[in-house]
Amino acid sequence: MKKYLGPLSKDNPILVQTLGVCSALAVTAQLKPAVVMALSVTVVCACSNFFISLMRNTIPPRIRIIVQLLVVSFFVILVDLLLQSYLYDVSKMLSVFVGLIITNCIIMGRLEAFALSHKPLSSLMDGMMNGLGYGLVLVVVAFFRELLGSGTLWNHQVVPDSWYAAGYLNNGLMILPPMALILVGVIIWAKGPRTKVGA
Amino acid sequence: MKNFTNTYIFLYITALVVVIAVVLTLVYTGLAPRRDRNKQAEKCQQILRAAGHDIDRSKAVEAFSNLAEPLTEDGQQYRVVCSDGTSGIAVRLDGKGLWGPIWGYAVVSADGQMLKGVSFDHKSETPGLGAKITEGAFMKAFEGKKLYDKDGNFVSVRVLKPGTSPEIDDENRVDAISGATITSRGVDDMMRSSIHNSQFTIHN
Repeated sequence: MKKYLGPLSKDNPILVQTLGVCSALAVTAQLKPAVVMALSVTVVCACSNFFISLMRNTIPPRIRIIVQLLVVSFFVILVDLLLQSYLYDVSKMLSVFVGLIITNCIIMGRLEAFALSHKPLSSLMDGMMNGLGYGLVLVVVAFFRELLGSGTLWNHQVVPDSWYAAGYLNNGLMILPPMALILVGVIIWAKGPRTKVGA
Repeated sequence: MKNFTNTYIFLYITALVVVIAVVLTLVYTGLAPRRDRNKQAEKCQQILRAAGHDIDRSKAVEAFSNLAEPLTEDGQQYRVVCSDGTSGIAVRLDGKGLWGPIWGYAVVSADGQMLKGVSFDHKSETPGLGAKITEGAFMKAFEGKKLYDKDGNFVSVRVLKPGTSPEIDDENRVDAISGATITSRGVDDMMRSSIHNSQFTIHN
């Protein structure tokens, strides 16, 4: 079990491997889309890891990237269609970002590094934990960006009106993408000394 | 590592593509009625919201059939009963945001002089910035704004940064969203290109 926990901290895809940073900047202005994005990536990563691992001995190495792309896009389109049909509001909120899961390098990275050489169940676990490790960072960043940038959490106002009356202002920089990059940097910095890379 | 022949590779990828295509097509067509219902309900909800009714999406289609009727066959205009009991004309709006299309409905008073309300939606504007056009605070600012200026010229309702274009009266403008210049300009263009003064005369 312990070997799968790496992606949550020690081997975190965003903080240590610095993969998937672009989407971490794009969807973290508010908490709700960040959470749904985290779940979608987890589902896609786990499912494609599982299926690629099932197929791993039949995939010709020369076209393996194409096969991986096909499988990943299949699951992304499936997730998108299901969201549109059953969770219409959420699908509207995520809009283009669902389609962009295909380009998330964490997923292709795990397929190459893990699923092609491991059994299906371990691959499923690995994909899930990597998705969750990615999601964890998204949620932390989105928490601070929404709180400080809009004064809300999950679209509910948490900064009391009396603060605004007393001159408190939302930090407009927080909702712009550069601030997400800075926040991710701060988390990497705070975490840095506690992590031995490659250990 | 096993050696794979070209024939194997060719057949493998062809089979994979066919299987994926068939499964996705089945899912797509299987879910189509549900997806269309969602879209239809959303459209009804949007028009009713512009008319001041706050109605849950699950009840929107039924409420819509009681409160609104199409004025044109292309689905661009509807006569709708507003929340204050008066009758208004709902006009479809279409425009461009920063990343993709923006659209919505504007409900104009029956005499064609004033906005009763608007509702906006967008495909892919930035959350927290351009996406704010769908928030209540921004849409509420349009309520009661006039479509004509003091001299009786049609100006629609402009979306402008506070302090700019002082020649446009407060009655004809709302504040743009700071940090979302392009989206705000998109709404401004949409309000001018989709609402024409000629639209309302034919129904009176």
